[in-house]
Amino acid sequence: MSKVTKVLASVVLGTTVLAASISGQADSIKVGFNVPLTGFAAADGKSARIGAELAVEQVNASGGVNGKNLELVIYDDQASPKESAPLAAKLITQDGVVAGISGSYSGATRAAATIYQENATPYISAYAVHPDITRSGDYVFRTSFMGEVQGRAGAKLVGEMMGKKRVSIITLANDFGKSLEAGFKEKAAEFGIEILGEYDYSIKDREFGPIVSKVKAEAPDAIYASGYFFTAGPLVSQLRAAGVDVPVIGQEGYDGEMFIKIAGAAAEGVIITTSLDRDSTEPLAQAFIQGFQKKSGYPADMVSASTHTAVLVLAEAMKQVDPSDKAALRDAIASTSINAATGHISFNKLGEVRKSVQVQVVRDGGWHHFAVISDPVLLAPPEE
Amino acid sequence: MLALDLLLQGIVQGAIYALIALGLTLIYGLLRILHVAHAALFTLGGYIGVIVTNETGSLWLALIVAMVLVGLLGIVIYRLAYKPLLDKSPLVALIASIGLFIAFEEVFRLVFGSYGLSFESPPLRTQVDLGGGLLISHSKMLVIGMAIAILSILAWLSSRTRTGIAWKATVTDSQIASSFGINIERVRYLNFFIGSALAAAAGVMVALLTNLVEPTMGAVASYKALAIIVLGGLGSVRGTLVASIAIGIVESFGTVYIGHILDRDALAFAFLVIALMIRPQGLFKAG
Repeated sequence: MSKVTKVLASVVLGTTVLAASISGQADSIKVGFNVPLTGFAAADGKSARIGAELAVEQVNASGGVNGKNLELVIYDDQASPKESAPLAAKLITQDGVVAGISGSYSGATRAAATIYQENATPYISAYAVHPDITRSGDYVFRTSFMGEVQGRAGAKLVGEMMGKKRVSIITLANDFGKSLEAGFKEKAAEFGIEILGEYDYSIKDREFGPIVSKVKAEAPDAIYASGYFFTAGPLVSQLRAAGVDVPVIGQEGYDGEMFIKIAGAAAEGVIITTSLDRDSTEPLAQAFIQGFQKKSGYPADMVSASTHTAVLVLAEAMKQVDPSDKAALRDAIASTSINAATGHISFNKLGEVRKSVQVQVVRDGGWHHFAVISDPVLLAPPEE
Repeated sequence: MLALDLLLQGIVQGAIYALIALGLTLIYGLLRILHVAHAALFTLGGYIGVIVTNETGSLWLALIVAMVLVGLLGIVIYRLAYKPLLDKSPLVALIASIGLFIAFEEVFRLVFGSYGLSFESPPLRTQVDLGGGLLISHSKMLVIGMAIAILSILAWLSSRTRTGIAWKATVTDSQIASSFGINIERVRYLNFFIGSALAAAAGVMVALLTNLVEPTMGAVASYKALAIIVLGGLGSVRGTLVASIAIGIVESFGTVYIGHILDRDALAFAFLVIALMIRPQGLFKAG
């Protein structure tokens, strides 16, 4: 398809949707939401959905968007691109959403982002990390850190703030882990970090005996380990069981109650870079943390804070313009400057978020404030 | 010292593979069925182990309960799923087995939840010094000890008792065994009970090491155990043992030194491919 026909097709589709949304219900504004409610990512999907629903309730309770209610149209994408792409098309063409939010992982989000971009419909990735998501085009935004950015923050945390210079790196071999590793290594030398060894593991691994033995033999000052709760929990548990008691530094993949449940006592003292400060005194963050606990019955996590933030960003942008004018809505999102549960949010020209990194530590069986990193140069996301 | 430590880790992993693969090879040797659903019994063993330990505080009780219940379930699977298919092509039983495996995964998800379960206080975490600073946790000693104990008992059973000799006779030629008055059906039940109980023991051992049991934890076990019994020479108990330990050791050194090129599974399968190029019939002859 040539560029011209592509543009024509999007214009035609765009106007059809416009017509559909005008002729449809006028008292609510529909927002598409793809999220994994079944499959391996269902745990994160549940938090993501509740976080987004909470934000919608809060927006609607305080008058909605210029008198109209927000309405989420939710579909289960099983964290799979095969599901998310047709769902995105359905949301835009049949359900008539004016914008979409991804509460899903990178693969599913990338596939959907392409469809939203082709249809000139704004799309916000709440917590998927793959760099190519925002490169889909100018209608796609991201409210979470890219892996590289968080990796750089990790290097500053370990080398400068904690003063640990001899570090072993354990990396989950997927786009998430690899981009974290790249960011960490990019800045390691700058913060005086010597990398003793680097080890990869696959997302299926739960038994880390050999890596633990090797890391133990290296006797590092700290371990920078990427993973999700279901790999990081067993990893930290096995490191501590083998008597490796140096600090373990993780990232937002650890963030949540499940990590603490799996690692148990071994979780104590683990430090992560993430998006949500549990001990924040900001009223917005407190309203979210308490609201989420009440709605879900368990403590807030990074995923729910991210979808909550994405909904707020969208709602604020909608208040500035006529939400049915998608181009104007896109421009309004691009010029976002708001406070949300995850801190102050604005975007660079690629649509990547600019915000501070929250550092949390496990203490007494819960996540707590450790530090904040707000160095705009270090945390600058790529511009293209 | 590191090399010794990695060797030890490899043996621990190999012992777990052996416990899983042994049941598979016993069943293949007897019935020529590739019992993929065996890996689901391994998962179930892990769940029962964690749940009973958390409820009663006794890992030993949990281990026994897991082995007995899962062993009985193995018999039920044979009776309901495989027995009616024995006169069909082995492919039919294989497909039934894959179907069972998928069904079990979903049942685990529905019954136990999709997030996985952990020990409230992980047992046997203390370490012992083997000399020269080589440390091993009690849980890993238990894994190796269990494997040795179970295999010795099996070896004794199969060569020194009437049941064991009947079992061997049935594996060699079930028709002739039957004509000598051996109850073939009983041998098959026993076979499924023992094989499934071993898988359950492996599930409890893995739970001890990782402190996490999940609905999908059988996925890796399902294909790796198949690879191991192929490598060992289908149906050969001795071959299965050697192949398990060999793959455990290859993975242990491989993940540390070339893990950024090949992940753990890729390493195991690369080793399998090379080994089978050299010995296409597997390491040992069946029997």
